[in-house]
This record gives sequence, structure tokens and C-alpha cells, in this order.
Amino acid sequence: MNEFLKGSSFKVLVIAVVVLLGLLIYTASAGGSLIASLLGFVSSPMQSVATEITGNVTEFLDIDGLTKGELKELVGSLQEENSALLDRLVEYDSVLRENQQLKTQLHISQEAPEIEMRSASVIGRDPNDVFYGFSINAGTLAGISTGDPVITSRGLVGIVVQASATTSKVNCLLSEDVEVSAISIDKQEVGVVRGNVTMASSGLLRLGFLSSETKLEPGDIITTSGVGGVYPPKLKIGQVQSIEKSETDVSRYAVLKPFEDLSEVREVQVITSFPGQGEDENVVELDPGQDNQEDAE
Amino acid sequence: MKDLNRLIRYLAYTLELLVLFMVQETPGLLPAVAGVRPVLLLPAAVAIAMFEEEVPALAFGIVAGLLCDFGFSRVLGFHALVLGALCFFVSLLVRTRMQANLVTAALNGAWALALTLGAQWLFFYYFRYSQPGFAFRSHYLPKYLYTLLFIPLLYLLNRGLSGALDPAEK
Repeated sequence: MNEFLKGSSFKVLVIAVVVLLGLLIYTASAGGSLIASLLGFVSSPMQSVATEITGNVTEFLDIDGLTKGELKELVGSLQEENSALLDRLVEYDSVLRENQQLKTQLHISQEAPEIEMRSASVIGRDPNDVFYGFSINAGTLAGISTGDPVITSRGLVGIVVQASATTSKVNCLLSEDVEVSAISIDKQEVGVVRGNVTMASSGLLRLGFLSSETKLEPGDIITTSGVGGVYPPKLKIGQVQSIEKSETDVSRYAVLKPFEDLSEVREVQVITSFPGQGEDENVVELDPGQDNQEDAE
Repeated sequence: MKDLNRLIRYLAYTLELLVLFMVQETPGLLPAVAGVRPVLLLPAAVAIAMFEEEVPALAFGIVAGLLCDFGFSRVLGFHALVLGALCFFVSLLVRTRMQANLVTAALNGAWALALTLGAQWLFFYYFRYSQPGFAFRSHYLPKYLYTLLFIPLLYLLNRGLSGALDPAEK
């Protein structure tokens, strides 16, 4: 034992441990963006190529192909949904026309909001991430910064939590670290969307802080409210699947099914700028202990 | 010749770790079982450690750990520290107490993976998020078992590499 402790290899181990502890403390406090950027420069092109090849092979082999029965079922449900949407479109058109007429009469003009976006591909999904976070092939050089919302055509998928030069890390909406102020477009009820590990494992979200008399019902569409200035308003999040009673108090929460399959996203858009960004950042403040206590129970 | 063989072997290990990093990170490449995918760098580092002396084993453990850190978290150094130290002791164990074969590879892989993923659960999940028990059962345990399956494959691969590029030393 003494021989081992006096040996050169043990000294190397001690030096390595001290250096790595220093690196750990440095990156934990300073963010380690320089080191991450350097590693990103090396790994990003290789990851992009690997992802591209995998995508092409999957497409070629048609692994995700559906059976005839599944396709029939899908077409049936889509036709039903289409019919319901057409009914709503007729109603929407008449409301829109009326709205425009009223605006003209009242001389109200509105500038189109300007949202700036950057396209990116998902190049990495780490198996160690419980909440399905991912890396994208665009970083600060493409104008992306920490806190930028990440979306697809189907809705909100997450937020950038670390931006290095050529890559960025995105926390998925399923993560407990992500909180989104949300609103029901039909009932105008507000709440906070937050994930937890139980729901994340089923690909679902929790819309909390609803009153006990909530009028939300399955099928209602939930979007971002824009409160807090972190996310632009009216980004689709998901559809109410069920309303449940909170485990700890009289409030209720809604179980949401996101419009996007958050664990399988491949192409995304990063919103780099939007009107109202960064305003009222302290409006939505949650007591993290409250939710944790709730979940633990 | 001896040094050249060693250099080529180290390059091969580095390349192996890089390729495994790509494979484990690329979305859709490895199928998810029970919602989890394996962490290939962990068994690879342990397998390399079984055929190398303590200091090279430590170095490759650190490289594998840094790649894990880069892919996973915003904090670099955690996996490098854990894997580096584990690989050092795996190498020491194999050189002083046990032989390098498939059974010892499975044993070393089992305890080293359990320690690494256990530390990951403790430091990255338990103190930060809710329902740690559920996360352990639904994510960490399946991931541990799924990753264990790759130990024999990576052991055989590294035994081949070590055997082919180490004749002068033997």
C-alpha cells in the first residue's frame, strides 16, 4: 500500500483529480463557454454529418412507415378534425371580417410584429438527459443566445440554455427547469406549464395553478401568454388531455399533450428576437419548493 | 517499434471514443429501450482501462468523461473526474488482483457503471429535481442495464485492438 501511495502513478492521479476539480468549479461558476466552444468546433461538423446520414438511412428504410390499418385510422381521424376545423374557419372568417371593419371605422392601425428566427437541426441527444434535452447546430455565430425560445411549425419545444460558438444546448419543454406562462385561447384561463419526470416519461406536460372552478376541458388549446417576456405570445404548446385535482390543495392542473413529439424533434427554429422580449421578467415567479413538495407527495 | 505501436494504439482508442460519442449522441441511431439509450463511453473507458497501465487508463477515462460532460451538462469535469479515477482503479485491479477476461470485464463494468450512474443520479438529479425514486427506476436503472449489454462487445473490441497493436510489449 505504501509503495502504491509513493508511486508516480498515484501522484499523477492526485494531480489529475485536483485539475479536474478546478475545471469543475471553473465551468460551474463561469459557464465554461470557451471550453465548450472549442469542443463544439470539433464535434459539431461530425455530429451534423452523423445526424444527416442517420436521417437519410431512416427515411430510405422507411422505419417509421405505417401499416394500412394505421393509415386508414389516421385518415379517418384527420378527416374528422378537418371537418371541425372548417367549421371553425367559417366562424373565424366572419369574425376577422367584422374585426377589420371595426378597425377601419375606428381608425386603428396595427404593425405586424417582427419575430426574427434562425433555422437549426438537432445534432445531438444525450442519453444521460432525463428530460430529452438536445443540441442544435447553431450558436452565437448565428445570433443565438441563452434564453431564446425554440419552436417548430407545430409549436414550442424548448429554450436555449447554453449557446457556444457553433452549437447550442436546448432544454426541452418536458424539463423541470422550464416554466412557461400559458393561456387557453378559448377560455382565457392562465397557468404555468412545467414538466416533471413522470409526465416527461409519457411525453406529457402539466399546466398548473388553475383554479378549482376551472372551465378548461379536454381538447382545449393552450398557447404561450407572453407574460414575462421570455416567450412570445400565441405559440402553440399543446392540447388539454385531462383535468386533475392537485395533490396538495384545492387547485387543479391540466395534463397537456404537446403538439410536437418533443423526444423526436429533428428540425427547429430559434426565435432570436421578438417584440416584448425581456420585458416583465419578474412577473412569473414560482416558488420551486412548492411544486417539488407537491411532486414528492 | 514499441513506441510506435503504443502511439497507434492510443490513436485507435481516441478514435474509438470519438466514434462512440457520435453514435451515442446521434438522434435515432441507437434504438431506445424503455425510453432510454445506452451511454457507450462508459463501458468503452472501462474496457480500455483493462488493457492499459494506470496512467494511460486514467487519461482515457478523462477523455471519455470529458466527452460525456460535453454532451450532457453545462459543467465540464464531473464525468471526467469520476471516470478517470474509476479507470485508474480498474487498471490497478486488473494488474494486481485479477485477470483480464470476459467475466472480470463484466464484473468491473458492473461496479464501475453502477458507481458512475449512481453519482450522476445523486449529483445531477437527486439534489435538483422532484421524484428521484421514479427517475431512478424509470431512467437510471434501465439505462444501467442497457449499457451493461455493451460491455462484452467493447471488451472484445479493445482486446482485439490491444492484441493487434501490442506485440512488441508482450
